[in-house]
Amino acid sequence: MSDNRKFHLPEVVRTPSRFRNAIGKYRLNRTDACTSCGKCVEICPYGVHVMKRGRVYVKNHYLCIGKECPNPCTLGCPENALSFRRNPTFDTMGDYRWTPDLLASTWYMSEFGDVPKAGLNYRTGDSGGGFDKLRIKLRKEEESLDLTDEDIDLSVELNRREDNAHRVKIEVPFYGGGMSYGSVSVTTILSRMKAAKLLGTLCCTGEGGYPDELKPYDDNVITQVATGLFGVREETIQRVRMVEFKYAQGAKPGLGGHLLADKVTPGVARMREAVAGFPLFSPFPFHSVYSVEDHKKHVDWIKAINPKAVVSVKVSTPTDVDMVAVGSYYAGAHVIHLDGSYGGTGAAPEIAKKNISMPIEYAIPKVHQFLIDEGVRDKVTVIASGGIRTPHDLVKIIALGADAVCTGTSDMVALECIRCHKCESGRGCARGIATTDTELVQLMNNDWGTQRIVNMFLAWRKEIIRILKRLGMKSIKELVGRKDVLAHLDYINK
Amino acid sequence: MSEKIINSIIRSRKDLIYDLPANHVFNTEAEGGCGVTGFACSIPVRGKHIFEPSKQMHNRGNGRGGGIAAMGFDHRMLGVSPEILKESYILQIAVLEDDVIRELENNFIKPFFNVDFAEKIPRIDDYRDVPGLLVKPPDVWRFFIRVKPAILKEFKEKNRFDAMTERQAEDEFVYQNSTKINSKYYDATGLQRAFVLSHGRNFFILKVVGYAEEVVRYYQLDDFKANIWIAHQRYPTRGKVWHPAGAHPFIGMNEALVHNGDFANYHSVSEYLKQRNIYPRFLTDTEVSAQLFDLYSRTYGYPLEYVIEALAPTMERDFDKLPVEKQKIYRAIQAAHIHGSPDGPWFFIIAKNDTENKRLQLIGITDTGMLRPQVFALHEGQVQVGLICSEQQAIDATLKSLSDEDPRIGTVADIYWNARGGSHTDGGSFIFNLDEIRPGAIERKLTCVDKFGHEIRAEQEKVPYLPGRVYYSMEEDNREKFNVSRFFDLQQPDLLFEYIKEGILKWDYADLMDCFKEIKKWSRKNDAHLGVAINAITRLIDMRYPTGDKKRRSLLQMMNHTLENIFRSLPNLENRSRKSSYRLIDWESRPFFRGPDYDEKVLVIDAELFPPEGDERDSRLLTEAYFRGWRRFIVFGLKGQRFHGCGLGPESGGVRIDIYGNSGDYLASGIDGLTICVHGNSQDQVGQIMKSGKLIVYGHTGQTFMYGAKGGEVYIMGNAAGRPLINAVGRPRVVINGTCLDYLAESFMAGDPHNGGGFVVLNGVGFDEDGRVVPLDAPYPGSNLFSLASGGAIYVRDPNRTIDKEQLNGGEIYDLDEKDWELILPFLKENERLFGISIENDLLKVNGQKKGPLEVYCKVVPMKSGEMEEDGLEEWGV
Repeated sequence: MSDNRKFHLPEVVRTPSRFRNAIGKYRLNRTDACTSCGKCVEICPYGVHVMKRGRVYVKNHYLCIGKECPNPCTLGCPENALSFRRNPTFDTMGDYRWTPDLLASTWYMSEFGDVPKAGLNYRTGDSGGGFDKLRIKLRKEEESLDLTDEDIDLSVELNRREDNAHRVKIEVPFYGGGMSYGSVSVTTILSRMKAAKLLGTLCCTGEGGYPDELKPYDDNVITQVATGLFGVREETIQRVRMVEFKYAQGAKPGLGGHLLADKVTPGVARMREAVAGFPLFSPFPFHSVYSVEDHKKHVDWIKAINPKAVVSVKVSTPTDVDMVAVGSYYAGAHVIHLDGSYGGTGAAPEIAKKNISMPIEYAIPKVHQFLIDEGVRDKVTVIASGGIRTPHDLVKIIALGADAVCTGTSDMVALECIRCHKCESGRGCARGIATTDTELVQLMNNDWGTQRIVNMFLAWRKEIIRILKRLGMKSIKELVGRKDVLAHLDYINK
Repeated sequence: MSEKIINSIIRSRKDLIYDLPANHVFNTEAEGGCGVTGFACSIPVRGKHIFEPSKQMHNRGNGRGGGIAAMGFDHRMLGVSPEILKESYILQIAVLEDDVIRELENNFIKPFFNVDFAEKIPRIDDYRDVPGLLVKPPDVWRFFIRVKPAILKEFKEKNRFDAMTERQAEDEFVYQNSTKINSKYYDATGLQRAFVLSHGRNFFILKVVGYAEEVVRYYQLDDFKANIWIAHQRYPTRGKVWHPAGAHPFIGMNEALVHNGDFANYHSVSEYLKQRNIYPRFLTDTEVSAQLFDLYSRTYGYPLEYVIEALAPTMERDFDKLPVEKQKIYRAIQAAHIHGSPDGPWFFIIAKNDTENKRLQLIGITDTGMLRPQVFALHEGQVQVGLICSEQQAIDATLKSLSDEDPRIGTVADIYWNARGGSHTDGGSFIFNLDEIRPGAIERKLTCVDKFGHEIRAEQEKVPYLPGRVYYSMEEDNREKFNVSRFFDLQQPDLLFEYIKEGILKWDYADLMDCFKEIKKWSRKNDAHLGVAINAITRLIDMRYPTGDKKRRSLLQMMNHTLENIFRSLPNLENRSRKSSYRLIDWESRPFFRGPDYDEKVLVIDAELFPPEGDERDSRLLTEAYFRGWRRFIVFGLKGQRFHGCGLGPESGGVRIDIYGNSGDYLASGIDGLTICVHGNSQDQVGQIMKSGKLIVYGHTGQTFMYGAKGGEVYIMGNAAGRPLINAVGRPRVVINGTCLDYLAESFMAGDPHNGGGFVVLNGVGFDEDGRVVPLDAPYPGSNLFSLASGGAIYVRDPNRTIDKEQLNGGEIYDLDEKDWELILPFLKENERLFGISIENDLLKVNGQKKGPLEVYCKVVPMKSGEMEEDGLEEWGV
């Protein structure tokens, strides 16, 4: 962070699923022919089988990688008692964007702090477009830079204006996007915050206020000033080093926010000082901002309250997003945060998601180039968000011109979200993540959540470093705007 | 206009757009809002007076485009005869490439026009002498022209304009010729050699890449006189230097238009115009606006009212409230022109030479949603001034500047008001007309009307104060008039206030001056006396009372002046020797800024020279001072400086700030505990996210007042503009004595008012000229009252029960009950104490009859929530 003390990364601690049966791609079947000889326990490289009190059984179905296994137990079993098949539950999860493979590999990363060894496609989804059609042109393994991981610099400076605002530096090229108290539980928020602190990065509160539980993490908190102004007080703005204006969300631009009545529990209502059991609306615009000079005034106001605040402006990606970005820069913003259309939890209406604004991989190069033409690219930090699922997505979007990214859904997946898209409904999430219901919240504890997110991001970090080395780059900064390291599958042979 | 003429005009323009590609995409320059200002004066005044208001609005522009228009000249200033000035067109060409003017003249002027007079207009030799100008402004050629009769005849025949008058045809010729000049010599994205600035009669336009006041300097207009001036500060979002033709104002025929805003349907409006053979060339929505205005007024021949209706249609409930006859016409206009109606935030100021009626006009039109700031003001007296600006401080700066030159003009206007966009009440538009008193006279008569032609009048019988005039006292007046010593000895500011209040009715201005002098003298004796003087004069400024034969604006001018004098004579922070608990700090003495000494209590900030924003602004100094231990503040001499009270953080109870002058936007936004008194009107975004504390405004307040507020106790003496208290939660308790324009308390979520939640009391009263409280026509004329609200309540003084269901969206109207009255009574009592609006004699009296509170007030509360939510609540055991 901003002080000069050497930053120490946290350790990976293996953190398995909090449910009894983690969901895996395959299921193993053991017939009565099994003699408990222990051969399978011996040959399985992944610890799927265990022997306990002289009896052998399958403990970790989810770790089995199926036919890709170099030393399959199904062939090694002297009694032919073992067989495997695809787990039908697995294929019901997720969607084209977040494929079951991506979900399972994110869970794997959250458990082990590294990418899965085999059997899962952890690089791309199956959406047939966007990041899933882009590939990184890596050099051969043996041509990669011969450096230790410590020599690769992943840090990103967020304040590039020469003003007297805080110098905020993040140690990894990502930080946590806004999820409000109300949309997710306080445990979820805390897990993300703690992880952000451990990883030397930041995390945004979203619009639902600033619970007191977050006080110890003030330095790592980005507080959001959004159109409903829920929970925004002078005090909360003064507590933090970075303030984010949310003008729009990429998943639902022009729609504002809407927290359904069922999710407005007494606790949420208290935090937002509203009425329990009534839906809460965030209007789609700031009622006080209808033009760029209003916006400037708005930014000035935040600076009047906290003169040292780093100001980020989060906007969606309309066709004139380049103008918006430049306008925001001239109005005094330090960070331009572009939120593309792929993101959004289940709370964003399906009709809005993917259908309104520009995909992020179009918006970022446009803005990047425009800022270069204006001669201000090095004065402003560009953050991309909206559907950054994997370290590979991150590398791709940075190569297209962003400086760093914001994550959201992947954090939820680390906490074992299964992408059921029921975030907004009733008491919220079946897995106790996006809920404020007092019972459902009990499904998860803080330390577990923190470690899961830390593990996932350590895996991301490792993977990003591996990619950078194979691109011959020592720093993430070198990657910014390097479109030449990417290839698009549709144009690869033309 | 007959359909035949309309069609022939449109047809005749066909070849003006020949170079337009078939599937042309209309590009626009992204442009945000801007600062606009304009004033009309009954006598021609110098260009330097547009200087001050333009400077006031620097923070609404970024110095990348500024322009002015001047209208209504004295012929001698231009070196032509009165006839030529009256009859000839003033064609002004901006030349960007030196040698192009000869060619242009030979191709487009000499063959068609008789040129009465031509000149290259004077300018400063070296543009670098004007600080701030980064690019050389264009040289400007001015031609006084008439179309040659033979050419006009041919033009009329060719286009079958036989039903048109000569003048209409000539106008059209000039218009088409200018369009041709522009298309030949100006390509916004390519080669730019010259362009037409203006071509109407008795007005011209000038623009630069820079700030508007730099136009005045560069073209040496400081001493150039005109009746109407309008100016514009542009804020294009693209940072690089932009072409000067993109700056406002834009022309139709005889009008110049400036615009603040940004409409969303530029493409569709352009398409609409294209279907009528009009095509924008300068890539801004302002040009399109001017073209629309010209299309409606000259091609379709609509009267101004219909032009305004076509631009800002009357909607929803306001439409239903119109007389049936009007509804028919308006419906037809809307049906025909809705595709050309600009959608989104916009505000136009237009200077129009209504040549047919020999009338100059200054017009302000706001959009139906009122999304841009706008203030109108009228100054009556020997010299009449009508003003339209984005912010009130720009109006006051104009008046101050005018007053310095001509003492007949005061520094305060008689009335200030906002327009309610697309409404049935005022139509969202006001027009200042300047009519000739007699032909050829320099002085004109100014009247102000709204869209429907209702006249807006400020009180005219009373006498304004004229500084410099000698007031003779009568022989027999040897009584001791100003025995004010007793009030000071007894420490009775209230009695002093009463004494002067009475005195105003008896004395003349000279006496009053003497009395204030006396008070000033006493105030210097010690702190206690100073307190009495400040207190009494402040009350005189704040309260409304009968002023006899004197104009209130003149009294305000005197009192403000006296008070500022008193403040400015206080010891500053450097001077430790003089004992006083009051300390003055101003721009010059700010290096001596320090925390308070033991007995120093009040920090008086003279804000006059401080910038409106940035780290050097006075409100930042105030915040610093708070952290250094100051607790009591007086800020005066404000000219729209922003953010007062912001940044003090939580638990700032016990702090008090008194604000005099033109306070700026975002006042008290975020305050948590402190008290702020605004002695005058406040501006936009006041009390945003306010958490707790007290705010008192002795005047009106602006747009989005208390947006997202969480609490606090607030008293507004006058009106709130559009969108007050949107998304307010928690426990704000607000008394608004006037009314609101629209969207009052949308999405209000302030719990149960009887259980710690929040509410708004809307009294719907105003003051007449004699300071009496009078009810407004309706406490709330707009719609969208309490839309989608889930908590809190609105208590409306509505004895005639004018609020109806049509105005609500998710709320319900109920009668007041005793419990409600008990709840709001303490707040009304405080309101009475602060503003003198009596519960017994004013609020509870209806047509002279005393009524019970339950008869007079009603309440609007959220509709009961559906069954589903209640089920949900049960599950949590609530």
